Amino acid sequence: MARKDKILQTFLSHELLVSKYNISSEDQLLTIREAMQSDKPIIKALAIIVDGLQQSPPETDNSLRKQVLQFLNETAI
Amino acid sequence: MIIERISIENYLCYYGRNVFELSDGLNVILGENGEGKTKFFEAVEWVFGGDDKHLDNLVSAKKLKEADIAESFSVRVSITVLQYGEKSIISKSFLATKNEDESCATSSLSTEGIEENSSGERSQVDGKKLLDRVFPFQIRKYSMFKGESELDVFKSDDALLNLINLFSDAKHFDKYTSTGEHLRSKAEKAVEDSTKNDKKNERQYNQIEYEIHNLEQEKHKIEVHLASTDKELSKLESNLQDAEKHVDNADALKTINNRIKSIEDQISKLQSNIDENYTTNLFDENWIAVNFEPIHTEFTEKVKKLSKEKRKQQSEFDKQKGIKEGEKKAKAELMNNAIPLPIGIPSKEHMEEMLQDEICKVCNREAKKDSEAYLFMFKRLENYLKSQEIQDAPEKEDERLFKKDYLSSLSYLSHSHEDNLKNLRGVRSKIKDLFEFNRDRKKDIEELKEKLDHERNERERILGNSDLAEDSLASVLKNYTAWQYDLTTRNRERLDYEQVLKGIDAELKTKNKAKDDIDMESANSFLIKTREVLRDIEVIFNETKEKKFDSFIEQLESKSNEIFTEINVDAFTGTIVLKKVKRGNRITVDVELEERGRTFYKPNQSLQTSMYIAILFAISELASEINEEKYPLIFDAPTSSFGENKTSQFLNLLFETGNQKILLIKDFLVTDDSGKLIVKNEFKDIKRDKAFWVKVDRPFDSNDLTTIDTNVISL
Repeated sequence: MARKDKILQTFLSHELLVSKYNISSEDQLLTIREAMQSDKPIIKALAIIVDGLQQSPPETDNSLRKQVLQFLNETAI
Repeated sequence: MIIERISIENYLCYYGRNVFELSDGLNVILGENGEGKTKFFEAVEWVFGGDDKHLDNLVSAKKLKEADIAESFSVRVSITVLQYGEKSIISKSFLATKNEDESCATSSLSTEGIEENSSGERSQVDGKKLLDRVFPFQIRKYSMFKGESELDVFKSDDALLNLINLFSDAKHFDKYTSTGEHLRSKAEKAVEDSTKNDKKNERQYNQIEYEIHNLEQEKHKIEVHLASTDKELSKLESNLQDAEKHVDNADALKTINNRIKSIEDQISKLQSNIDENYTTNLFDENWIAVNFEPIHTEFTEKVKKLSKEKRKQQSEFDKQKGIKEGEKKAKAELMNNAIPLPIGIPSKEHMEEMLQDEICKVCNREAKKDSEAYLFMFKRLENYLKSQEIQDAPEKEDERLFKKDYLSSLSYLSHSHEDNLKNLRGVRSKIKDLFEFNRDRKKDIEELKEKLDHERNERERILGNSDLAEDSLASVLKNYTAWQYDLTTRNRERLDYEQVLKGIDAELKTKNKAKDDIDMESANSFLIKTREVLRDIEVIFNETKEKKFDSFIEQLESKSNEIFTEINVDAFTGTIVLKKVKRGNRITVDVELEERGRTFYKPNQSLQTSMYIAILFAISELASEINEEKYPLIFDAPTSSFGENKTSQFLNLLFETGNQKILLIKDFLVTDDSGKLIVKNEFKDIKRDKAFWVKVDRPFDSNDLTTIDTNVISL
């Protein structure tokens, strides 16, 4: 498994996601690619950030912000 | 990464080419002092980034001596490493050319890199870049240790943190925490701006923001104070623990010094009580008259006797005088009590005239010379003349037998002495009492002096037991009391700061809630929801990183203690505790040794060395578990304080642990009866993967470097 998938899964296993966002145990095992398709905005937002930061060179914070905001806007949270 | 081979050529004591074929495990290199251990370590260190100045100082003196004038030869150290199945050779070399004056000139330094793939194809690359790739600088820094003192890499606040960041996967989460903070702060700002567009709550909102800002500043200030108090507390505890080693002695010293002072005071008081002014007493206190009574008695007897004699003589005198008076009286009675003419009638002139004229002109009769009448007149004149003489002399009645009354004085003296006798009789007992008193006091002083000697010996013993001088030992107790007071004060301050922080946090929570409430009322709902998501993402990033960090520390602590206990088998160890400490805005990790929950600030050198080695080994092992990569550890004389038995246990433990280790030690070598240096039989029992003995070729002159040639013997 790629490092970025491992990192995403580490974040997905955080208890806040379970308690506040009802993330299931299956969701906790998603890869970046799968998380990008998630209907849960926070999962996709996390996937965007991890994917961006694990790239070489990593995305800048401003670029990531734009991507996340655009996505959240589109999903009309 | 492991080091497969180290080749040292014409480098200092390593004359010619010397190769160490190393194993991926425990490599032990034995060597007596001055026979090449440290030069081996320095050769490796040189390749890994050591000093490149004064290359001529690195040339083998023996090789230089043997070389012809203008002959050049290579000085080279090559390290062959194996990483992910591929070989890399990093070499550092230069050419030395012998000058006519026996010195040498050196070429520029060359750092070469050769990569060899699994099929054996070799390619030349930049040596420095290759080294940094296979053995990163940050890791090299914590891989090589020369002597026990260098093991103390954790003294710097950041050292352990750097190591943890290097080897734990917490470092992969660093960028997430900064990105998370950036995204959240931007989202906060967007919400704030949106809220501020609604003028309805503007004043209240600004006031809350102002209060939050002030509270955060206050919180930061208190956190700085708290961090500084923590640092002071740690220093105080360390000082106290250090002082505790001496405080018993210091306390005993204080007590004994008090006792000595008290005894000295008693002696001084007793000495002042002793009165030995005997000469003065002899006169002032009449001691000289102690034997005066018999003399006085004799004197009194004599005075009595004299007095009696005087009275007797006086009586006799008075009697004689009385008789004379009686005679006078009787004579007068005989003359019928007729009244005779006064003795001066007729006068002297008439008498002389009548005698001359030989006529008694009283009775008008002739009085021829020598006649009865003439003689009568002559006698009458003679009596008159005699009477005139008597009148000039003192009256007979006034004559006294004793003209001076010396006896009265003597008698008075005798009486007076009689009165003094009472006092004089006490002198003997006074002298006796004073002598006894002085003797007893001297005896007391002797006893006290004996006590004083005993106490002084005890003080010497206490001072002998302490590695501190008397003055320092005395100040220990003073400092100890002061530090204890400071510790109490700082602990109280700490509690106060914590209490204040709690209050500020609660107030901040309330203010932020109030701010959020206004946001909910005034700001764009999308922005609020975005902020909510990004706030949560920041929490997830921060807590995940912290969890990874904490988990690594936990594993490191556990692994370190495991190794620590094995190194110190059957001996006291205590527990290694890794503490995450917040210093202002920074997080650092402190290493402490605890004994029953109390920090053990100053362990002995052996315990401290084993503690550092345990942590280094634990990091090395955890790094290879987590990162699937490992690096060698090279130690020059890391166990000087261990002793051979503990070193044996230590080496056997190292053999069991993973990762490559290269240890240079001087143990297990001994000179036999014939004066030959040999490896002890005990070394056969030491588990190791490879062993070498670096030994200077005999004979050699320790004062002549040109005779020094270290041979590498595989054991």
